[in-house]
Amino acid sequence: MESSVIAERRGTEVTGCPVMHHDFSKTRQMGDYWALANELRETCPHFYNEYAEGGYWVFTRHDAVNDIYKTPEIFSSASITPWEPDPIYRFVPTQVDAPDHIKYRRILNPWFSPKAMEAAAPMIRETCRGFIEPIVPKGECDFFEEFALRFPTAAFLTVIGVPVSYTEVFVGWVDAFFGGFGGDPEGAAGMATALAEMRVFWKEQLDDRRAEGRREGDLFSYLLDAKFDDEPLDDEVLLDMCTVLTLAGLDTTRAELAYMFHHLALHPEHRQRLIEDPEIIPLAVEETLRYYTIIFGDGRKVTRDVEFHGVQLKKGDMVYGLVSGANRDPRHWEHADEFVIDRKKNNHFGFASGPHRCLGMHLARREMAIAVDEWLKVIPDFEPATDAQLFERGGGAMMSLSTLPLRWEVKP
Amino acid sequence: MKLCVSEACQGHGRCYTLAPQLLSSDDEGFVTIRAGDPVDVPDDLHDLAEEVEGTCPENAISLID
Repeated sequence: MESSVIAERRGTEVTGCPVMHHDFSKTRQMGDYWALANELRETCPHFYNEYAEGGYWVFTRHDAVNDIYKTPEIFSSASITPWEPDPIYRFVPTQVDAPDHIKYRRILNPWFSPKAMEAAAPMIRETCRGFIEPIVPKGECDFFEEFALRFPTAAFLTVIGVPVSYTEVFVGWVDAFFGGFGGDPEGAAGMATALAEMRVFWKEQLDDRRAEGRREGDLFSYLLDAKFDDEPLDDEVLLDMCTVLTLAGLDTTRAELAYMFHHLALHPEHRQRLIEDPEIIPLAVEETLRYYTIIFGDGRKVTRDVEFHGVQLKKGDMVYGLVSGANRDPRHWEHADEFVIDRKKNNHFGFASGPHRCLGMHLARREMAIAVDEWLKVIPDFEPATDAQLFERGGGAMMSLSTLPLRWEVKP
Repeated sequence: MKLCVSEACQGHGRCYTLAPQLLSSDDEGFVTIRAGDPVDVPDDLHDLAEEVEGTCPENAISLID
């Protein structure tokens, strides 16, 4: 622990709660963030993290994280980054509270529903094969660069109706945005530029559909005709929606894919199990989302003074539910610190919980399951291609590797 | 045994994916019996129903003997 003194907080004494000074935007060795979450959780159920100008409360255990998610009337999504209570972007519907939130979700839910994703599955599988086929004869690849970055991007673009030729452009925007999202000041300018460029792109798409007419299977056409309280969505909201869909849809899936394939590269017994019993691939995907959750924590803004799990919170305070702590909390899980490939009672928070649960979850888990299935069919055995230490981007922006070199034997 | 789903359902889809024999989804991804009539669980599916109960991130599922 970097510090465990009782300190003053904006003139109000913080009692019975250790204060720490962690910067969660830092790049660390792979696995360090989950280890930190374990350490924090087992040290104290809550902390006050003094960071930059302000500070925020951190709740480390499953019960409190669960309660934060389940009481959105107290824990507002107006900001989900506790180090930035008033961000420059607005994610719709991510940062919208009741009663408007569900109205936006009802517009978007059908497009990303399990039934819609079932219908899109053959196309997603085809896209996936298209990325794997040229890799197989090489015998090695940077899984992150050559597959995890590109497959979910191409699949997502196809699902929303944007030509896959834009894949590289989107990869660049998403990278630049998340360079600043986690609180790293050096990434702030790049984040702002990426946001501006994305909005120009969405505006062009919307204007095109207005001028040239609506298209089938096209999210922009669908959104232009959508109604909120019987009124069309205004351009600001449309752009905010498109932005969050992109950011949430691309960065996250590639990060989870890389962690899952890193695990499989090190565990031949799990690869074998999935090859022999592909039915359990969806369970392995869920266990990846629990054990290797990329959400270090999830922020919320407190709407009123309230005592919560022994802490007196004030209106306007920011809290951070430590999802990585909750997802491996032995108070909740059997074999909490073990990757149980066919875990069934797996109510993890890898897609968050409560009304803001991940909109794209049905797309993401399908992409992951298809990737594992298709990869193992043609590359059943593979291993890390390097002993070099892997690093992960800070949990403030959701953890992610930046490289994953793999190798395998090429069969003649 | 009966299986109920409360209004807390947020459409994670874990239940109907694990037990398509018991549950299905609507066009938004919510379980169709959300806050509605419980479903009867046949004797041979009790173990599955218990797994389904434990798989909901919203704790929206309960079993009645």
